[in-house]
Amino acid sequence: MANVLDLRRRIRSVKNTRQITKAMKMVSAAKLRRAQERALAARPYAAMITSVLQSLTRRVDLYDETTGNLCHPLFLTRPEKRVLLIVISGDKGFAGAFNANILKTAHQFINGNPDKEIDIETVGRKGRDQLRRHYPAAVYTEQRGEDGSVRQVRERKARVELVGSHPGMLLKLEVAQVLDMAQEIISRYVREEIDAAYIVYNEFKSVIQQRLVVERLLPLIELGRQQITGAVEPSEEEKERAAEAALSAGIQLEAADTTEAEEEAKKFGTANVDYIYEQPAESLFKGLLPQYISSILFHALSESVAAEHAARMTAMDSATNNASDMIDSLTLHMNRVRQAAITKEIIEIVSGAAAL
Amino acid sequence: MAELTSNQLRVRLVTPERVLFDQAAETVELPSKSGYLEVLYGHAPLVAELGAGDVNIRGAAIAEAGGESEIRYNVSWGFVEVLPDRVTILASDAMKPEEIDVRRAEQQLDHGLTLWKQAGESVEAYDEALRIISEAEAKIASAAEKG
Repeated sequence: MANVLDLRRRIRSVKNTRQITKAMKMVSAAKLRRAQERALAARPYAAMITSVLQSLTRRVDLYDETTGNLCHPLFLTRPEKRVLLIVISGDKGFAGAFNANILKTAHQFINGNPDKEIDIETVGRKGRDQLRRHYPAAVYTEQRGEDGSVRQVRERKARVELVGSHPGMLLKLEVAQVLDMAQEIISRYVREEIDAAYIVYNEFKSVIQQRLVVERLLPLIELGRQQITGAVEPSEEEKERAAEAALSAGIQLEAADTTEAEEEAKKFGTANVDYIYEQPAESLFKGLLPQYISSILFHALSESVAAEHAARMTAMDSATNNASDMIDSLTLHMNRVRQAAITKEIIEIVSGAAAL
Repeated sequence: MAELTSNQLRVRLVTPERVLFDQAAETVELPSKSGYLEVLYGHAPLVAELGAGDVNIRGAAIAEAGGESEIRYNVSWGFVEVLPDRVTILASDAMKPEEIDVRRAEQQLDHGLTLWKQAGESVEAYDEALRIISEAEAKIASAAEKG
């Protein structure tokens, strides 16, 4: 049986661990609060872009006369043969099952569509590292065109390939970077390299309202509505744990009320009047679409960042609680051992005295 | 927000990250893609695409208190909706003139000029280069005006 000194050392070590996890929890809580604020602040813009687009689509001259569809390549649907999957995970671990769950959903998507060629683009280091072990990277070879220009030609070797990653994007979310990413995706869609684009990420409305979703980014079918094709809700138990952790860190459970601001934002560009269009409606429409796609992406990224911090906060809260439990049981054990030693000594003295 | 007195506009400047400005003002000057336009109370409803340039907001409530009659933001690309009593600017990027990093803007200008030279026959590359150049030039001009 361990002696008192060993147990005391053990307790001290667990106490140190508890301090670390507690600090990490507080840091994550602060970061979560900031991430939530940023996600909220980004909403009016997204809502306004959507509503002005919707109001523009109500103009007849944007529709194709024969098919009745919107005249824009992003609205064209093709049979989905080649799909781009954007996997948004975290940069760091210590966040419970956050990264594992996202990757599980991504794998499910890949395995659930065995007849499609899938390109994977990752945001976040954890997802990149793990997926890189499973799937090969896309190979490009340079080919010289007839006019001497160099073109990148891709040779597909496997059904599922990694086409790119965006390291460091999550550290500081910048709109310009997200817009670049969106434009890249749009141009690949327009060139018909891909027939659809999906995002896998952790949606985060508030601590108790979050889920893993697969959202369709392209083609656009209806503006202003999330095109969720798959969602995994966390279990009740997980929700309770998250809520507990949030309460102890002083984070609000419900999402802040932004209905008023959003209602206001929805009116943008939709007033029931005849607008003068400074530029032709088509060109406005074309200019707005990349912004719209980028705002969907930005939304996904910023919610994923918030969700990652929330997951880490919950995980660290659990770790802190576990450490406390361990300290309690170790202390009890140590006291017992100490008492046993004292009792033993007394018995020895007493029986020694009795033997005299 | 401040109460609107008659013939004042409610001006809002929104970027993808946050709402930068939400106040009453008298006039707004906007860099639309096809040239500057100035908006006063009672303007006809209008939707326009913005280019790169300065947004000038005059007669804003806070500016008056601070003794400054004009608030200027450098914006690059975006959209604007004008209603008789309201102006909403959706800018892809907006900053105060003093926040502009002139060195970076100059680098951007050089980059744009190289792209422009390399563009050759490609219309897309040409447009992209022109876009970068005009954005950089607008930033430099806006920063210079302040100093």
